[in-house]
Amino acid sequence: MKQSLHSATLGNGITIVGERLPELESVAVAFHAPAGAIHDPEGKCGLATVTGEMCLRGAGLRDSRRLVEDLESAGVQLAQGVSSTHISVSGAMVARQLPEVLPIYADILRRPLLPADELPAARQMVLQNLAGIEDEPAHRTLAALRRLQSPAPWGMPTEGISHEVESIEIDDVRGFVGRHLQPSGMIVSVAGRIEWDDFVSRIEALLGDWQATAPQAVATGPRGPVALHVPHDAQQTHIAVGWPQPPYRDDASHEATAALAVLGGGPSSRFFTEIRERRALCYTVSAGYQTSREFAHAVCYSGTSADRAQETLDVMLAEIARLPGTITRDEVDRVKARAKSGLIMQQESSAARAGAIARQWYHLKALRTLAEELERYDRLDVAGIEAWLADHPPRDLTVVSLGREPLEVRHALPA
Amino acid sequence: MPFLHERLANGLDVVAETSDAAVSTSIGFFVATGSRDENDDVSGVSHFLEHMVFKGTPGISGDEINHRFDAMGASANAFTSEEDTVYYASVLPEQQHEAVELLAAMMRPALRDADFDTEKLVILEEIRMYDDQPPFGADDRCRASYFGRHPLARSVLGTVESITRLPVEAMRDYHRRCYAPGNTVLAASGAIDFPALVESAQRLCGDWEPAAPLERRLPHPPRQAAHPGVERIVKASAALDYAVWMVAGPDEFHADRHAARLLAMLLGDASGSRLYWGLIDTGEAEQAACLHQDYLDAGLFVTQLSCDAADVETLRERIAAIYATAATEGLERAEFERARNKLASRVVLGGEKPRRRLFEVGLDWSHARTYRSVSDQLRLVEAVTLDDAHRVLNAWPLDAPAAVVIAGPDEVG
Repeated sequence: MKQSLHSATLGNGITIVGERLPELESVAVAFHAPAGAIHDPEGKCGLATVTGEMCLRGAGLRDSRRLVEDLESAGVQLAQGVSSTHISVSGAMVARQLPEVLPIYADILRRPLLPADELPAARQMVLQNLAGIEDEPAHRTLAALRRLQSPAPWGMPTEGISHEVESIEIDDVRGFVGRHLQPSGMIVSVAGRIEWDDFVSRIEALLGDWQATAPQAVATGPRGPVALHVPHDAQQTHIAVGWPQPPYRDDASHEATAALAVLGGGPSSRFFTEIRERRALCYTVSAGYQTSREFAHAVCYSGTSADRAQETLDVMLAEIARLPGTITRDEVDRVKARAKSGLIMQQESSAARAGAIARQWYHLKALRTLAEELERYDRLDVAGIEAWLADHPPRDLTVVSLGREPLEVRHALPA
Repeated sequence: MPFLHERLANGLDVVAETSDAAVSTSIGFFVATGSRDENDDVSGVSHFLEHMVFKGTPGISGDEINHRFDAMGASANAFTSEEDTVYYASVLPEQQHEAVELLAAMMRPALRDADFDTEKLVILEEIRMYDDQPPFGADDRCRASYFGRHPLARSVLGTVESITRLPVEAMRDYHRRCYAPGNTVLAASGAIDFPALVESAQRLCGDWEPAAPLERRLPHPPRQAAHPGVERIVKASAALDYAVWMVAGPDEFHADRHAARLLAMLLGDASGSRLYWGLIDTGEAEQAACLHQDYLDAGLFVTQLSCDAADVETLRERIAAIYATAATEGLERAEFERARNKLASRVVLGGEKPRRRLFEVGLDWSHARTYRSVSDQLRLVEAVTLDDAHRVLNAWPLDAPAAVVIAGPDEVG
């Protein structure tokens, strides 16, 4: 398959990555500013999220309402999000609209108005979201796991902490924008029906003269305890289990993620077969992988009735412990087939591709072609995965439960 | 994108929207049955049966189904609604044969006693999961209040009691009646080898026994809430109140269907709508949305609100005022055109994804024996006028007496 992947770096440190998908009518564009929640100051957890919201409340010559209305008039599906590392604004649209809307995105990044009178509403919006999360037991369980097993500030909730959000003032937001919303380390990604050279010159014209300041380093603190029970009065108990993995940029992540896929990556995985199909303990069970540039974790989850939760955790831990030395060729073939077909099908979505190439650039400082990605999967085999697992068996597990009663971690695993 | 159609001798329709540009193939069986086709004795059977279809046939075990889908790199799943049960797989084009082979076999499941008893536990967990999360059953309860004795009142999941007492024989009987070839469509989208698809269908489904057609559209569907008024569900541990209310809207076959969708988007889309600016942007509500849902013989405007329990009555009044202003003062041309552009853009972007097109092509054919391309859909959206939107506002008043359900921590508002 012929693929056209591009990258370019501007003098101020902005990297532009792009993929031309000429069969599509659409284009997806995303701006990832290195202003994520890891930069939230002590006592202001949620500042990046409030800032992301404030950036849409007026920019350049447009007030809040005009900004959203102009993007929507152009048929842009606008999205804004904050991760631990980035504030991202993105949009998908019919390709011909792109030249018209790029200047609006440039305004959001470079000229946010940050009006003081909008802050109470923006803060309140973030607080509403936090209250809603209180009612999402699976989300709370996974957030608790993340907070425990990642060193501070990487595990802090990107959505914020209510009483800290309440203390955020307009000067906090303006200071955060000044320090972190800047070109050095920013990634602009685009995919779909694009002309690459034209796109680069438009970004150069809009963002090229933006002066960079030195990026801020983040001090890493200690991680949390290895077990936690969160009392919650409901029918089901939710369980999350995690342990360290190599980050995506480490070549060994390929073997590590394949092992996790064998464990809980699809309907033929061990978790699904043993916990749902055989024992009918739950509706949802999975194992996945979360990575930052510096470190990564396995993340396993299930939710089940309180009286069946202990058995569910026992079986999850037993399956995790059983993994090294037992992986079969059929299992690896299925993991490869799923991954490869997922990679190929991604070519049908401009938004998926814009996201994928931005992630690759962030983690690898390079773009892998589809052919290279497929070839990596061709090389994946049982021996390689087992060799990696033999050296890195699951250990240092962190276990979180949320429900009426705490659970016991009975299965012995190496500490 | 050419559309192709073939009907087998036993009545099974095979339809496909083919695309040379697609790199994937999506295939689905669309069975025209859902919770509305149930009765009290078998409440939840459609959805439970959907699970059982993955537990195997006389010749294929449940494990083998999972293994084969994963081995072909398929993204395969199923869903059940009030009116449809859909099984689908997205695969690379070279797996078309294997995917059709497996899906077709699954449509004639073994429904083994032991599997039935095991899977029952999974269904009960699924019911508890939804019961524990927003909107804590308010949507199901509201539908029941709105529809009263009409079959659309029925819950897709059923209840712990109805699932617990359901006998396997009742499911077998339901399968015989509802999974007949005349009640099923095999649809495909993307990179499709249509002659091969028809050949597979002929070979794998040609011997399915026809059954009497189901009568589904009722002559006198409700045009107003059967039980208007406010009901409460108490969830002591809930952080917020979750309110849902329903009033009548155009059905799937109504000429104003697209105008209704556009109106709901203008009033209550997740961003840029009147509810957004009135309640979300201000930080007063976690969610405030209006959507149009349509069925074979009925339609709804559904309003969803989540907010602090102390604010729920004030914000319900605020929304009522927003609706009343729209009805009395009308809509602005600029906001109408923005909403129409937005909807048109969603049609175009959604149309790029073969998986999404599979559902549209399959459901259109299953419900109406009709095909609408992305361009047809775009024309329908672009043909909606401001007058159409105003007519819908007048004909289907959003401030009509509604069925209202509020789930939250308090017993009274």
